[in-house]
Amino acid sequence: MGVCVREREQEATRRDALAWLLRAGAGAVVASFAAKAAQRPTADRTVWQIDPRACIQCGRCETECVLHPSAVKCVHGYAMCGYCKLCFGYFKSDAARLDEAAENQICPTGAISRVFIEDPYFEYHIDESLCTGCGLCVKGCTHFGNGSLYLQIRHDRCTNCNTCRIAEKCPAQAISRVPASRPYLLKESLC
Amino acid sequence: MRDDRARGAPGGASVCLPADEQTLVPPILRAKQKICANLVWVPAATTVAASRFPQPQFDSGHTVPQTVHPPFEALVPAWADVLILALALAVTVWLAHRVRSRRWLLVFSLVCLAWFGFIRQGCICPVGAVQNVAVAAWSGGGLPWSVAALFALPLLTALLFGRVFCGAVCPLGALQDLFIITPQRVPRSVDAVLRLVPPAVLAVGLVYAINGAGYLICRTDPFVGLFRRSAPMPMFLTGAAVLLVGMVVARPYCRYFCPYGVLLEWCSRLAWRPFAITAHECINCRLCVGTCPVDAITVPRPALSDTARSGLFRRFVLMLMLAPLVVAGCVAAGWLLGAQAARAHPSVIVAERLAQTPESEMDLHPEIEAFKRTGRTPEQAAAEAAVTVARFRRGCAWAGVFVGAIMALRLLGMTRLQRRTLHEADRERCIVCGRCFAACPKNVQRSTSNAQLSNQKGDT
Repeated sequence: MGVCVREREQEATRRDALAWLLRAGAGAVVASFAAKAAQRPTADRTVWQIDPRACIQCGRCETECVLHPSAVKCVHGYAMCGYCKLCFGYFKSDAARLDEAAENQICPTGAISRVFIEDPYFEYHIDESLCTGCGLCVKGCTHFGNGSLYLQIRHDRCTNCNTCRIAEKCPAQAISRVPASRPYLLKESLC
Repeated sequence: MRDDRARGAPGGASVCLPADEQTLVPPILRAKQKICANLVWVPAATTVAASRFPQPQFDSGHTVPQTVHPPFEALVPAWADVLILALALAVTVWLAHRVRSRRWLLVFSLVCLAWFGFIRQGCICPVGAVQNVAVAAWSGGGLPWSVAALFALPLLTALLFGRVFCGAVCPLGALQDLFIITPQRVPRSVDAVLRLVPPAVLAVGLVYAINGAGYLICRTDPFVGLFRRSAPMPMFLTGAAVLLVGMVVARPYCRYFCPYGVLLEWCSRLAWRPFAITAHECINCRLCVGTCPVDAITVPRPALSDTARSGLFRRFVLMLMLAPLVVAGCVAAGWLLGAQAARAHPSVIVAERLAQTPESEMDLHPEIEAFKRTGRTPEQAAAEAAVTVARFRRGCAWAGVFVGAIMALRLLGMTRLQRRTLHEADRERCIVCGRCFAACPKNVQRSTSNAQLSNQKGDT
């Protein structure tokens, strides 16, 4: 009887040791996998941003973002702006008159305001609370103007999803992760 | 805007159009243009556009304003995220192994649901981090150490104490747990088939992530839209449907979809101190059996007779012969479905668009517009797509090996000699919700005796 108990105890110890061995092995696998992944650890977090040079203003930023309205907004790089009287980012192509009447504006939400500075120059401001990120103004400005209007993901709104829905749908693959310390790709400083 | 170009400038106004673009470009801009021209990926149109209308010198002394860009502000620093997860895991371990109270586990799961779900809004979670870790390990690229820690912490905890992450910490699990109303037993055959989904999702999700076709596991997360309180309608509907199903089939996402659950199951199988229904000796009263919503309580099995044993052995041999067929079948399925899976990859999307779109409709697709700007030929795109499809076929075939191996192992596992004498929580299936605690008379005895003890202390 005593021998039998001792044998059973020995077997239990053996099983215990084997279990610990397996456990340690599995732990080592998990840890080494994580360590291999983080072998070049980036201290900085990353955030999503649009490269305005690659953007083709397809309009998906407005519709694909998980947020409504989208976290993508049009920003104005004033340093690049020509202060044109006829702004292709402000007026529709078939605008009857060059004034601030709503029917002449390209922006569907009237988010751009036009301020007279001096003849013949006007300054354009974007109200981000109205902007939906549709990119219509950006398209006009990029094709016919200086391209001072461009789309950027605004980090006061972006929830920084692990996978950006717009990035997945972007036809130009213009959206990628950038370091959180430099979270914008500003056209005026890029090129 | 296409008509704009056809029609030219609108409204007969030509105010700011320069006579000669080049002469109006200041030298500094011209130098910048040269720099840009050296970079292949900068489209020429942009650099020209940048200098179309030079900025005026204002006589009125107007100063050009600066756009304010809101900085990225994380709710908590990365190290705090890791610390909070570690603390949450530790508290759950304490609640499940020491306090042993369903009520406190529920309360803590609500806290975790609020923090990890509604406040942190789901991203980044250990479930999704699987992909980040796999991509970084595969490509050798950088990964924030905090993401690696988020991935590893729940697994290491599972190696010690079982799936405590699922019990209270995971917001997806906590949310579904609230909707368990009348959990029904899933038929074993259905359960066996559905339980093959998580490994398949894990394997295919990693094939997608590694090959640059996006994060499938994040895309199929049904509740992240709820946490953000903003999502496209299909995502909301899927989330609602999963919760509705969850009323009768407890935790459907956790059991039959969650890819991280596969890894947690493996780790939990080796757990040092797995979840225990009773803190004392099991007396086989069977009272706990009906309480488990996820059918994780295994009942005692008597020792088998010799004839049954030999029958089991015959089945084992049969399964062993079947195993290579199962794996081969899965590999073939992976190879065939690989081409379909590859259609999520951008290069394949472009090639398909180019091949299918008639010449007259070429301008209608943004993919083609973007492709034209890269200056590549359709043949190059087709070749690249073919390479991608081949990569996906290979990847999905390996995913087939993975799923097939799991299937074969489970088939072989069915013929294992199992002798159990007590009611136990299945290490793999148990999600540490603690519903069985209260059913065990031994547990109740203990807590009442504790209460009596403290009462006596209070009296004296």
